[in-house]
Amino acid sequence: MIAYIIRRLLHTILVVFAISLIIFFSVRLTGDPVSVMFQAGEPTKEAIAEVRKNLGLDEPLYVQYGIFLKGLITFDFGESFRSGMPVMDLIKEKLGATLALAFGGMAVAIMIAFPVGIVSAVKRGTGVDFFGRIFSLIGISFPNFWLGIMLILIFAVNLKWLPSSGFESFKHLILPSITLGMILSGILARLVRSSMLEVMNQQYISTAKSKGISDFAVIIKHAFRNALLPTVTFLGLQFGALLGGTVIVEQIFSWPGIGRLIIDAINQRDYPVIQGGVIFLAVIMVAVNLVIDLSYTLIDPRIKIGGSRS
Amino acid sequence: MVQKVLEVEELKVGIKDEDGGKIAIVNGINFHLHKGETLGIVGESGCGKSMTSLSLMGLLPAGVERHGGDIRLGNLNFNSFNKKDWRQIRGKKIAMIFQEPMSSLNPVYTVGAQINEMILNHERVSKKEARNRALEMLKLVGIPRPEQVLNEYPHQLSGGMRQRVMIAIALSCNPEVLIADEPTTALDVTIQAQILELMKKIQDQLHMSIVLITHDLGVVAEMCDRVIVMYAGEIVEESLVVDLFDQPSHPYTKGLLASLPDIQEQKEYLSSISGVVPAPGKMPVGCRFAPRCSFAHERCKEVPPLFEMENGSRVKCWLYEDGETEVAAK
Ligand SMILES: Nc1ncnc2c1ncn2[C@@H]1O[C@H](COP(=O)(O)OP(=O)(O)O)[C@@H](O)[C@H]1O
Ligand SMILES: [Mg+2]
Repeated sequence: MIAYIIRRLLHTILVVFAISLIIFFSVRLTGDPVSVMFQAGEPTKEAIAEVRKNLGLDEPLYVQYGIFLKGLITFDFGESFRSGMPVMDLIKEKLGATLALAFGGMAVAIMIAFPVGIVSAVKRGTGVDFFGRIFSLIGISFPNFWLGIMLILIFAVNLKWLPSSGFESFKHLILPSITLGMILSGILARLVRSSMLEVMNQQYISTAKSKGISDFAVIIKHAFRNALLPTVTFLGLQFGALLGGTVIVEQIFSWPGIGRLIIDAINQRDYPVIQGGVIFLAVIMVAVNLVIDLSYTLIDPRIKIGGSRS
Repeated sequence: MVQKVLEVEELKVGIKDEDGGKIAIVNGINFHLHKGETLGIVGESGCGKSMTSLSLMGLLPAGVERHGGDIRLGNLNFNSFNKKDWRQIRGKKIAMIFQEPMSSLNPVYTVGAQINEMILNHERVSKKEARNRALEMLKLVGIPRPEQVLNEYPHQLSGGMRQRVMIAIALSCNPEVLIADEPTTALDVTIQAQILELMKKIQDQLHMSIVLITHDLGVVAEMCDRVIVMYAGEIVEESLVVDLFDQPSHPYTKGLLASLPDIQEQKEYLSSISGVVPAPGKMPVGCRFAPRCSFAHERCKEVPPLFEMENGSRVKCWLYEDGETEVAAK
């Protein structure tokens, strides 16, 4: 177990290193940051050189990369070209909002998809199943910006029940979470349904029924518990995607998250913020995957961490 | 007179066809089970043995329904059962073990938890008492190091051990009837013998009645007192095991006996009887076995009744219309 975690950590370091290489060089393909910094007038050659020197852009690339790597080890991503604030501080400031939105979206997806998927599977082929599947299809095929805008129109503009932008309270979380969660719930409900159908055909479900326990116990305790494994894998992958991929939702709801931080940074060619933000998200994704893998052992006793089977 | 624990009358099981009509899988069968007796149900694969046994538990698969007949357990008539009544007898009065020990235990729960679940569902006992009972059951079914096995998961046990655990679960609430649907088919021969031995031993200890479903006449000879031969959803012969092997009457039974080694290898067809079991909905008129029968004659276009023989056997074949006529036309 310990050896496994160590191996995974080494693996993580390798992944982060690879990402650092890719992000460092690809960022520099977006163009010269200095040229977008002077808004008014034609800057003098001297002024430009001065700025480049201050930002460390006059050094050879490998030196710049070395500095970047050195910073990585201490989680120091340098300072923003724009605001001069440490990138880590900017990220920390946005992290709460991003995590809240990811968890919120996940929670909405689970709350909708688990019941829908389970009921659909249990009532397979009936009207209920039909509606469940239509729901999944709608969830999957709806563009989320549309749903977000509709929710804002209904609940923020017309009914004035909920705020439409920013993140100041729990209330602010509701509409963006639903927007994000609905999309995910469509796919998730499908996955839950198909995993449940597969599990319900297993002999141990007949065994469970033959004990005279309630239908609920058969479905939840015996079937769903076994259907959980593929579901958790999917959710883990999705969580990573939610952290970085909420850009559209963050835009619609003016959500102060890391996704928007990175988008703004890209527009401004703010290299350190882009690099720091992307690396940070990558580390979180890898960490989430590790946690998911470890959680398998709790869900399924047949899985032994480290690949050794008893 | 020996007490009947289970009586099945005119049991009909079927599926719906596309036009909403019914296709019979089990076509009005009658049998009973005496206390302490082992009744064998034999027949090729697809004859309706499993559907018969599942209807005794009220656990027919989706799309398959019982639409007729009576099942009585003591003074309980299953026809009047609602969901809750069914749940009260499942495991408590009738328990069942299945063919596939490898997949009949839930992989994510310990052996102990799976036995406890049955006990706690039917008996008013504390968790600790349930655990003790589970331990006793594991000892009863001859599991070595039972204390540890309680905390182990199914994947840590061999197929034979898992079937023992299944038996422990099934018997943990002391049911009156145990239904065993091909309990040893998936196991290799030595393990098979051990499991059968075990079932016999426990039956004597607990005075249970067993319905043993198998396509293996060797198992029948070993285990059963009486036997029902099923063909295409009907009972074609019913007799004591001794009589069945001494004087098989129905041509189908004779065929089964003649191809003994073959059915043990689970072949799709029987060497001594050509053809296969007709599919539901594609049943021949008259005697369902006639198309495969070398004794078939004009009379077989009508459905034969069950003829009672002198030794008490019953045979669904026109050859026995005039009582016990040894088939001359061999
Ligand atoms: N779930 C099901 N739906 C429809 N037909 C079924 C189902 N299960 C079994 N059957 C049909 O019922 C008949 C009897 O099957 P079964 O009782 O399993 O036979 P046996 O146990 O004797 O091998 C077979 O023709 C089979 O095709
Ligand atoms: Mg069967």
